[in-house]
Amino acid sequence: MIVETGHFALVLALALALVNAGVPLWGIAARDRRLMAVAPSVAFAGFLLIAISYAALTYAHVTSDFSLVNVIENSHSAKPLIYKITGVWGNHEGSMLLWVLILSLFAAAVAVSGRAMPIDLHAAVLAVQSWIAAAFLLFILLTSNPFARLVNPPIEGNDLNPLLQDPGLAIHPPLLYLGYVGLSITFSFAAAALICGRIDAVWARLVRPWTLAAWTFLTLGIAMGSYWAYYTLGWGGFWFWDPVENASLMPWIAATALLHSATVMEKREALKVWTIFLAILAFSLSLVGTFIVRSGVLTSVHAFANDPRRGVFILAILVFFIGGSLLLFALRANALKPGGFFVPVSREGALVLNNLVLSTCCATVFIGTLYPLALQALNGAKISVGPPFFNLTFVPLFLPLCAVMPIAQTLAWKRGDLLGSVQRLFFAFVCGAALMLFLAVARGGPAISILLAGLAVYLMIGAFTDLGTRIFGRAALVNGHVLRHALGLPRSTYGTALAHAGIGLSLLGLAATGWGAQKILAMKPGDVARVGSYELALESVGPQTGPNYTATVAHMAIRSGGSKVAQIDPAVRFYPTRQMSRSEAGIKTIDFGQVYVGISDGTTPGSVNARLYWKPLVTFIWFGAIVMALGGLCSLSDRRLRIGVARRVRKLAVAPQAAE
Amino acid sequence: MTRRRKRLALIVSALIVLGSGLGLVLYALRDNIVFFYGPSEVYAKDLPPGTRLRIGGLVKQGSLTREGTSVRFEVTDGKRAIPVTYSGALPDLFREGQGVVAEGVLGTSGMTASTILAKHDERYMPREVVDALKKAGRWQENAGTAGMGGGS
Amino acid sequence: MLWGIFALLTGAAVLAVLWPLAKPVQKAASPDVAFYRAKLDEIERDAELAAISPQDAQAAKTEAARQLLAAAEKDEPKPTLGVSPLRPRLVAIVALVFIPALALGLYTYLGHPDWPDEPLEARLNAPAESMDINAAIAKVEAHLAQHPDDGLGYVVLVPAYLRLGRIEDAVHAAQMALQKLGENPQRLAAYGETLVFANHGIVTEEARRLFTRALAAGAEPKALFFLGLAASQEGDKTNARAYWQKLLAQSPPNAPWRSDLTARLAALSGEAAAPDPAAAIAALPAAEREAAIRAMIDKLAARLAENGQDIDGWLRLVRAYKVMNEVDKARAALAAARRDFGGNAAATARLDALAHELGLNS
Repeated sequence: MIVETGHFALVLALALALVNAGVPLWGIAARDRRLMAVAPSVAFAGFLLIAISYAALTYAHVTSDFSLVNVIENSHSAKPLIYKITGVWGNHEGSMLLWVLILSLFAAAVAVSGRAMPIDLHAAVLAVQSWIAAAFLLFILLTSNPFARLVNPPIEGNDLNPLLQDPGLAIHPPLLYLGYVGLSITFSFAAAALICGRIDAVWARLVRPWTLAAWTFLTLGIAMGSYWAYYTLGWGGFWFWDPVENASLMPWIAATALLHSATVMEKREALKVWTIFLAILAFSLSLVGTFIVRSGVLTSVHAFANDPRRGVFILAILVFFIGGSLLLFALRANALKPGGFFVPVSREGALVLNNLVLSTCCATVFIGTLYPLALQALNGAKISVGPPFFNLTFVPLFLPLCAVMPIAQTLAWKRGDLLGSVQRLFFAFVCGAALMLFLAVARGGPAISILLAGLAVYLMIGAFTDLGTRIFGRAALVNGHVLRHALGLPRSTYGTALAHAGIGLSLLGLAATGWGAQKILAMKPGDVARVGSYELALESVGPQTGPNYTATVAHMAIRSGGSKVAQIDPAVRFYPTRQMSRSEAGIKTIDFGQVYVGISDGTTPGSVNARLYWKPLVTFIWFGAIVMALGGLCSLSDRRLRIGVARRVRKLAVAPQAAE
Repeated sequence: MTRRRKRLALIVSALIVLGSGLGLVLYALRDNIVFFYGPSEVYAKDLPPGTRLRIGGLVKQGSLTREGTSVRFEVTDGKRAIPVTYSGALPDLFREGQGVVAEGVLGTSGMTASTILAKHDERYMPREVVDALKKAGRWQENAGTAGMGGGS
Repeated sequence: MLWGIFALLTGAAVLAVLWPLAKPVQKAASPDVAFYRAKLDEIERDAELAAISPQDAQAAKTEAARQLLAAAEKDEPKPTLGVSPLRPRLVAIVALVFIPALALGLYTYLGHPDWPDEPLEARLNAPAESMDINAAIAKVEAHLAQHPDDGLGYVVLVPAYLRLGRIEDAVHAAQMALQKLGENPQRLAAYGETLVFANHGIVTEEARRLFTRALAAGAEPKALFFLGLAASQEGDKTNARAYWQKLLAQSPPNAPWRSDLTARLAALSGEAAAPDPAAAIAALPAAEREAAIRAMIDKLAARLAENGQDIDGWLRLVRAYKVMNEVDKARAALAAARRDFGGNAAATARLDALAHELGLNS
């Protein structure tokens, strides 16, 4: 009964989405507010229905209701409870349901926070969001129904793919989807702006919190995914330039560009057309990502088991939304008043440069990801474009951008003083150069790592330079108002500094990979191997039994200078239901670096094949992303983003003045 | 600065950035793409040793041998097979009789692989492998999904 | 109950459309004025903190003030059309008709409203008589996973597996039962029986040895039956008759296999020239029948491949393939028969008639 209620709720949500895709737009066309007012309550009801549906599917997974094909294929009664819950989104059908759940969650959030928005824009945003929801609900119900059932349920399921039975899976996809799908709101805002003909600084400010939220989640999602791949795939890599990873990177780059261009639009009423275009692009790229992951057109380590019918359906959705929005764009964009041009050396000039470089970066990733597909369609040749391509294209574009970043931060709006900026960054330059010199003498190489490390330090110090001069500047010191200055600065300034410093931190982690050490060898108990400055001693190899797996565990001691520092227990797990094994890397974090050991069964009984790594400062790569996300959150808390609230407070203050 | 010069500055910087991006892409595409072949195609093309490529097929039954941490196996499409040597960590789903994609450099007697790809999901066959097997005529439409059971 | 919930949900969904329609229109918010006011404040604050120069602050303030004025002008309420009640009524009708119609229509196409939830726990704890065989097997399997030395569990599983057609599992379970509990006539015969199933109804040499051992250890009806079957499969009618008659003599009058056995014996003595196994097959239990039919077809095909001069045999084979839904094989057999009887007009006519009857003429 619960299962069927969930199924019915999903169908009902489709009906509501269709209503909401039409009625508010009619209201806008007829300028009838009563029809526009329908949008929020329907959007909210749609969210509740999809939530009911999702809860029903979760219930079926938790109670091992094997009358659902989805549960049979992805669950097992012996699976731990946590993986029964996360297993709901560990498969195609369930993850699509999570996708629309988040889509409707964002719509509901817009619905309840719409008081500060013009009613027509509000209705149009929700209507566009409903179009997307309707398309994906139809996709789920017709090609990927998680509520498909069997008359004679088997008594046991096929279990969830062991690689997905991991705490990383509990967090990674929801975060990523919050980011991916969060971009749907900026898309809806862009389409709504075109529909209502309201593309101005106010729009830019209204859309900013949503872009920030999506960007923050996407940053965390990508970082989490990278860390998950790092420790579950067992070979210590964290980024493979794999199509699926690129699929998440492209919307991230576009969203980053959007954040910056929307600032220009908000402050200077410029770059309007471009900002709208970026908002459309960001979500289009996240749809392309969905298409790549779900259709299996590209070989990737992450691909889902797939079905060509789904690929065609998603392609149709993709063409409809990208084509439709671009058509709308073409129809409306030339009706826009062009924004002003401005002096190249200024904050806005630097932000334009940022956008240029980021879009070019995004384009190179796009070409590298889709070129094999295009080539195969053209002449049937099958090629793959691997890390060397991206290292040669993306990296040379991105690194200069990092070098310019602190300078841009210290430039003033309207008219910048380039020389003054560079002078203010003197300390950052010196620190970066000193580190490079030190590393060149102490380590001797590799050159790229030294360069990156220098750049990273310059970037981190540079990120806070502007903040520092503004708080401790001469005016503040003379007046003795350091604290007041610090509090008076908008939070978004702190957010920018944090986000840029996060990039620096990640770069430092990347730089340090050049000083890592690795060893692949066969070990038997008693063997000792040296990696980096640590000695790893294999003490014993033994079996272990888990709830739905058996494992071979290697007990290893990490020694440094003769004394034992830590103990790690890498393992290979075997999951009998799926006849699959998976390695469980042993990881120990020491001073921000990690000792990483992956094992596989050895050739002779009792021995193991071990892959030993010492990765100095490797955690900085992900800490950097967390710092970036903190920057996003900090910006998000900026009170200026809540214009509605400001207005209500104002009213009280304004009233007596008006009486004067 | 006049309006025209501002516009010029914008256009010039856009051209520089896009141009360098395009240049990098073209340069990288010339040297850093890897072609994909099935085993039969590799023999048919008569590729010179030293070519970097990807091959895909099934790991031939009974061909897997391990020496220390390096492994040898043969990748087959049912007609021809290519010996592959690889040292390093094999993906968890690597198994005899399963689909595999190997990337590496062709030598005089087979391939030295630098990367071995298998899938997250054991029901899924890499697309290239399916195509290679289809070309060699060893693929039944329903055999890919219904890999379970077997026998009688 | 379920339909009650559906009605409730549908009602709530329709209400989500109707409720805002019924509410009075509120004055729309306009954030423009607030935005530019906030901007002015911000500039003032920046100027106070000396973050921007006084000239810049003045210029920015002028610009923001100009935009504020423009926004305030724009903010004048637009003439609100839509006083006519027509549009809301139309929307209300659409909501009342379209939402329930689409939801119920699509749901009845996709869903199974009459199927209950089947949580595993409840299925395993269901009373024995209403428990499905799958659940019963799972229960025994779970028990065995905990107490792997309880051979009786395996004994119970063998016939259950056979009934479900899980032949390989049945063979394994029978083997385990023998291993854990030791040999006795029943267990030996049960193991032999699973082997016969695994070989599509053919009594193999190994199975036959097991049955002989079972018989040596004590009286066992199953062993007698299968030894008789083995003999008849080899064409050794005398022995087959001997085994089966012995079995018949031993069997209690109400034994379920009596009728089948008499039929088999009749078939043995009746149609000496070309025994018709159809009756025997029909008498088999359902699960066994399929395997036996397969075995029969395979044997027939093998015989015809060696010696094709048997028009009745060919006709039977074609018909059998068609019955088994193996149209391709049926066509192939038809073609082979036509080859073998190339010059024989009467035979060709019969083949043509059959092809026509079965719709095999493509």
